[in-house]
Amino acid sequence: MLLGMLGALIPVLVHLFDRRRPRQVPFAAISFVLRSQRRTASRLRLKRLILYTLRTLLLLAVPLALAKPEWADSALVKTARGAAATVIVVDTSLSMRWRDGSSLFEEARKQARAAAQELMPEEPAALLSCGASVSSMAPLNFDRARLISSLSELKASYELADLNRCLDQAAAAMNESPLANRRIVLISAFTQGALRLESPPPISTGPKGEKIKPEVVLRDVTGGKGLPNRALVDVRAEPAPQVGPRAWQFTWTVRNFSESEARDVELVLKVDGEIVSKGFVDLAPHGTAQKVMTYQFTKGGSMLVEGQLTPDALPEDDTRALVLAVPKELKALIINGSPSTQKFRDEAFFVDAALASTGSPVRAVVRDADAAWREDFGGYDVVLLLNVTAPAAEVAAKLVSFVQNGGGLFVSMGDRVEPDAYNAMLGPVLPRRLRVMKTAVEPTAADAATRAARLQNVTATHPVWVPFTGRAREGLLSTRFYRYMLFESDASQDVEVIGVIDDGAPAFLTARKGRGRVFAFASSVNREWCDAPIRTAFLPMIQRVAGWLSGTLDEHEQTRARVGELVTLPLEQGQVPTALKDPSGTELAMTRAADGTSVSGGPLAQPGRFSLVMTNGQTVPFAATLDPAASDTTRHGQDELAAWFGEDVVKTAGFGGPSQKTPLWTWLLVLAVMLFFFEGTLLRR
Amino acid sequence: MSLLDAQTLSKLKGVKVRARAVVEGVLSGLHKSPHQGQSVEFAEHKEYAPGDELKHLDWKAYGKFDKFYVKRFEHETNLRAVMVVDTSGSMGYGSGALTKLDVAKVLAATISHLLVRQQDAAGVSLVSGGTIREIPPRAAATHLNVVLDALENAEASGSTDLVTVADQLADKLPRRALVCLFSDFFDDRADALKRLLSLRARKHDVAVFQVVDPAELTFPFDDPTLFLSLEDERRIEVNPREIKQSYLEEFNAFLAATKAACTAADVDYEQVRTDEPLDQVVLRFLSRRAGGGRP
Repeated sequence: MLLGMLGALIPVLVHLFDRRRPRQVPFAAISFVLRSQRRTASRLRLKRLILYTLRTLLLLAVPLALAKPEWADSALVKTARGAAATVIVVDTSLSMRWRDGSSLFEEARKQARAAAQELMPEEPAALLSCGASVSSMAPLNFDRARLISSLSELKASYELADLNRCLDQAAAAMNESPLANRRIVLISAFTQGALRLESPPPISTGPKGEKIKPEVVLRDVTGGKGLPNRALVDVRAEPAPQVGPRAWQFTWTVRNFSESEARDVELVLKVDGEIVSKGFVDLAPHGTAQKVMTYQFTKGGSMLVEGQLTPDALPEDDTRALVLAVPKELKALIINGSPSTQKFRDEAFFVDAALASTGSPVRAVVRDADAAWREDFGGYDVVLLLNVTAPAAEVAAKLVSFVQNGGGLFVSMGDRVEPDAYNAMLGPVLPRRLRVMKTAVEPTAADAATRAARLQNVTATHPVWVPFTGRAREGLLSTRFYRYMLFESDASQDVEVIGVIDDGAPAFLTARKGRGRVFAFASSVNREWCDAPIRTAFLPMIQRVAGWLSGTLDEHEQTRARVGELVTLPLEQGQVPTALKDPSGTELAMTRAADGTSVSGGPLAQPGRFSLVMTNGQTVPFAATLDPAASDTTRHGQDELAAWFGEDVVKTAGFGGPSQKTPLWTWLLVLAVMLFFFEGTLLRR
Repeated sequence: MSLLDAQTLSKLKGVKVRARAVVEGVLSGLHKSPHQGQSVEFAEHKEYAPGDELKHLDWKAYGKFDKFYVKRFEHETNLRAVMVVDTSGSMGYGSGALTKLDVAKVLAATISHLLVRQQDAAGVSLVSGGTIREIPPRAAATHLNVVLDALENAEASGSTDLVTVADQLADKLPRRALVCLFSDFFDDRADALKRLLSLRARKHDVAVFQVVDPAELTFPFDDPTLFLSLEDERRIEVNPREIKQSYLEEFNAFLAATKAACTAADVDYEQVRTDEPLDQVVLRFLSRRAGGGRP
């Protein structure tokens, strides 16, 4: 850039070598030209001299300005008295990735190198890379070359560094030093999240056990300027059945960490890398805004959903991802054991209505028993037996095979269900053997409503019941049962009772049979045995049961993983993980729980899409997101820092701190513009 | 715009044709002019003798002396006019259609034409570098062609020497005459104009036509230029933008000084731009002369 200063020679060269032939003009009033020339000669000489000077300065100022020179105020440099044990602490927070041309972390490296080079040879020193968690640190030594070369291994993280812990660690590392003087060089952007001023400042212990406040050298890598930043700090994904099947609503939370407002900031919604929606948000200074976006997925499966703001100086937090399991379309075969022309008496009416409602991922067909037994069950994900007479052995074998091969089977009771026949034909796939029907009260009795049995409890953690909280749960529990089937007791671990009636009888049972699942309801799905079908809980319950039976319900639960932390992923029965891979495909360490129900791995070093690979080739994806606190680039003031560390121990420039740099290039540009203006004015005169 | 502007005149070949065109323009403009022709001045009384014009009898003198006296006038002949045209090199300059000399020649020819037409005598003196080529004034109509031929053949050359011209004119004009001077008056000597204007002190009626080119008035040059003298070997390279202001000040001061000197010497002064209609110049001149009682 400074080679451009050779351009300053241009006016001189033009003057020396510009020998253009002037135009010859015969002119009558030449006497007046001569007189004028004599009169103005001295003034013109002065004007030319000024012009040459202005042009030379102009051509000097432009390349100098482009070189962006800064004026370092050396008056603030203070050197320590005597040798001091020194620890150079480099902040590796996410905020250090903030860049304006080069990143703050690159500046931190330069400053760390400068600090190391300014150390006296007799001063022992060490380097501490300060992240969110405790990092190892070499003992203090005199090998300056190794210290400087280790700087190249430093990396900025995606987390919020704990500078307080690092300062304490640095102070403790100097405890063993025989030198009385202690020094911590802290190279940071000094964001408020990284350094908490409510904690005590670092204290070191001297050779005789005395407490020593180490000298603290603050090197501000920002040059004293603010770090405006905006970030996507949260996203909430919810199904939007009102829009249609597989429609989801995403609520993005955007925060502005700067003093100035931001208008019309673009936010795009990406699904598997493709932009599917765009929106704009306005952000007040230090304000938060939410943006709701809706998208209807065209197919089911695991989808990588990303929100992305227009990138700013810290683009890492302008993107937020989540992996969403969009329910696949399920095919269900409803076998109606007791058809009726009167809808409320029809056994399949309520179930069919529930599965056909808006937002349901299930496409159901209804068949009577005779027709159903001729169907190929392999074409369905779920088969629902609603008060069906026990099938013949051949059909029963088809059903058993269907379940064993991964199908879902729902069984509800009714007057056509013969326990013995069921046990004989469908025993292999029933959760428990049927025993006998119990009548709590005749449905037609006058006091049936008060004497009916009710649910005592449901297993809230089971995927089917997860949404049933608060009033929804109370509504579910108040279901009245007039008649219900009793099951044989069974100690099998494969069977789970997820809801019991107040007399202790199971109302809902689940079981895994082979690769398939079975859900048994002890009562009927029309109003003859209970009033469940007319309860508000019935519709979501049937839809979730269908989802659970097909295995898609489990996928709806998003895995929330945060960068810098370990992640724990649930495992289904029979699932064996082989690898945990980060977004770049690198395998991470993982540990499988002793009971085989979960696996944990990490820590996750970066945001993005991770995946857990199973032995059967199945991949469970999940997304890791940044800690919103790491995006907060609000900085401490220098006065605050000096007051916290103590005015007597803080150094602020040169070796002792960040030099006060004043950018000169803007003034040089102003000077160049003024010179250009004066030059033009002189030329016109 | 007049039909007799410089562009139009430049398309007419020769002084005669140009002068004729200007004369016609002037005559058409004279219809409303108060011009009454020449006047004569009273000289002496003479005792009446048979044959004298009775209209010249002085009845007041008869009342006083009881004798008949007849008035006699100093010039009983027509006016004598001399067109003095500067043909020095500087008069050959012209940035437009006509040079300064072209304009001077047309003006001199026009005024001569008008004078001869009313039986006045007109002559011409072509001056350059201190020499004078003279055609004496005569009133004959055939003399006009001689004057016009002399003007036709005049070419710009030599230096401007107004001092010598003034001395020679004083010697060659023993009787009162109308002297019309056509020049740019670019003579660096301080007393040059003063000497020329001294003709007025000798009872000559003097009219000055200072011919200037628009380029001399505005100095419309931009790029570095080598200016060459039209009269000698002088040359100078300057950046015109740098000296324009100073030049204009000098030149305007010169014009103002010339006009002031003429006014002080009771001499008619007319500044003529080479790009203005010449019939208007002549009409302006004649109107002023009529107002002042001359010629």
